Amino acid sequence: MPLLRTSHQQIHYELIGDPDLPVITFLNGLTQNARLWTAYADHFVPRGYRVLAYDMLGQGRSSKPVIDIPLASHAELLDQLLTHLQIEKTHLASISFGGTIALDFAIRFGHRLHSLVVMSSFAELTPQLELLGAVMLEGLTDVGLPYLQSMLYPMNMSSDWIAANRERIPAMKRAGYISNDGYAMQNLMESFAAFKPLTADLDRIKVPTLILNGEFDFFTPRACHEVIRRNIANSRLVIMPRAYHAFTLEMPALTLRQLEVFLNQIDEGIWQGDQSVWLANDDPKIAEAWLPIHGDWMRAAQPATPMTDSTKPASRRKPTPRKKIP
Amino acid sequence: MIDPDLYDKARDHIAHAGFSPEVQTKIALTLCAAKAGNQAFHNAVQWLPNLGVVQQFMISQAARELEAINLLTRTTQWSARPNLAMTALRTTAPLTLAWTQIMMPPGPLFNPPAIYQGLSLGHAQLARLRLLPLIPEDANPFNPFVVALQRIEQDNGRMLQTQIRLLKRMGENIPLDAREQMLERDQQVVDQVFSEFMSWLVEP
Repeated sequence: MPLLRTSHQQIHYELIGDPDLPVITFLNGLTQNARLWTAYADHFVPRGYRVLAYDMLGQGRSSKPVIDIPLASHAELLDQLLTHLQIEKTHLASISFGGTIALDFAIRFGHRLHSLVVMSSFAELTPQLELLGAVMLEGLTDVGLPYLQSMLYPMNMSSDWIAANRERIPAMKRAGYISNDGYAMQNLMESFAAFKPLTADLDRIKVPTLILNGEFDFFTPRACHEVIRRNIANSRLVIMPRAYHAFTLEMPALTLRQLEVFLNQIDEGIWQGDQSVWLANDDPKIAEAWLPIHGDWMRAAQPATPMTDSTKPASRRKPTPRKKIP
Repeated sequence: MIDPDLYDKARDHIAHAGFSPEVQTKIALTLCAAKAGNQAFHNAVQWLPNLGVVQQFMISQAARELEAINLLTRTTQWSARPNLAMTALRTTAPLTLAWTQIMMPPGPLFNPPAIYQGLSLGHAQLARLRLLPLIPEDANPFNPFVVALQRIEQDNGRMLQTQIRLLKRMGENIPLDAREQMLERDQQVVDQVFSEFMSWLVEP
């Protein structure tokens, strides 16, 4: 795995594809590493893209500072990495923790972007997210990394996925335990103590922005993505049907389709950043990639429109009291 | 980062050979050598003047390392092969050398830079000497040696918290970059020792 050396840190990256092709850069979630984007590279490289993935500070094979990892340093390191690789501009796709870094990068280094994809992420800590983060940190520091790993599977994945992969989970946890360092993850999480909401600066993001949110993501629910959609004029929100937080891992085919549709729309000049909200189509029999959503997309249950008397379903009549026979 | 293949090979070897006296002895000798260094360091600095609340942490760390060494030596089914002790000395020599430099007269009590170095090396050991991935999935969870390894690893995580707090709080006179470089260098030393240990573990 190639290496970028800064004054005192090293960043491991993987860059695949021919030098003259447009670049897609992927940013990992908190406990992830660059290798988890291999399937995405396998898909996009034959389709005429270069794919860059890397371990952020504190992850995988990159440096894992013990004392401090300022949150802002991640965007600055990405800027350095692109310069090192002589990549002037990139498409940037990101998930969860990486999504927040991507938003920060888009605000401060927007001139280096063709487009932005933000998945399962947030621009500010909602009270719910803040408390969830605090509980995760407490679990990590008081009990240990294996506990945090155990906590993340049910938070990130669906019951169907867990049922289908139950046998593999111990091996996955072991691999994660080997490649991650609890103290580095703790440092990444503690860096949010100094996190300032990005919301007020989101309107500085001018590039086409696709926001993807899992329908059933309770870790970063719709409200988190709604903040991003409302504040980025050139955006669209697409809801991933029946998806939880880590849908890039659980539903790679459906995620790849969304990214491909988005990139094609940009290439063909037909992208419309109108802040509209859509549902990703997971039915291969329907040609449209994104389906319109009627009603309130913030609601999980859609109330039906009031019906007229003639269309009302028959209801049980109240029994009329019998007249008393005098 | 340590090559994940080494963990797999070591675990597969234990799955095949079981926790034989040779395997237990190799693990115990390596872990005890590392922990003895950290224990001696904390033992030396716990009477540093003006430590305040930090003194309690230092004493506690020293006691926990001693407890880990005791637990391991009591639960290990020792091999009678003296060459294992000789190889363990060679494998852990980089750690022994690093601790010797920290403890060199006048000792950390009278040599402030050595205090931060000791905290840094102790952190690297607690963070990177991880035995849990070597325990096969079907290992007997009631095997005293397995229980001891799990207990020690869990305690390492807790001790690491103290170590992190001390590293963040102390050494402010040393530039941040220099501190991070020291920490990374120590991790590389520990990674090298642990990689060699795992390669040795699979040898007959």
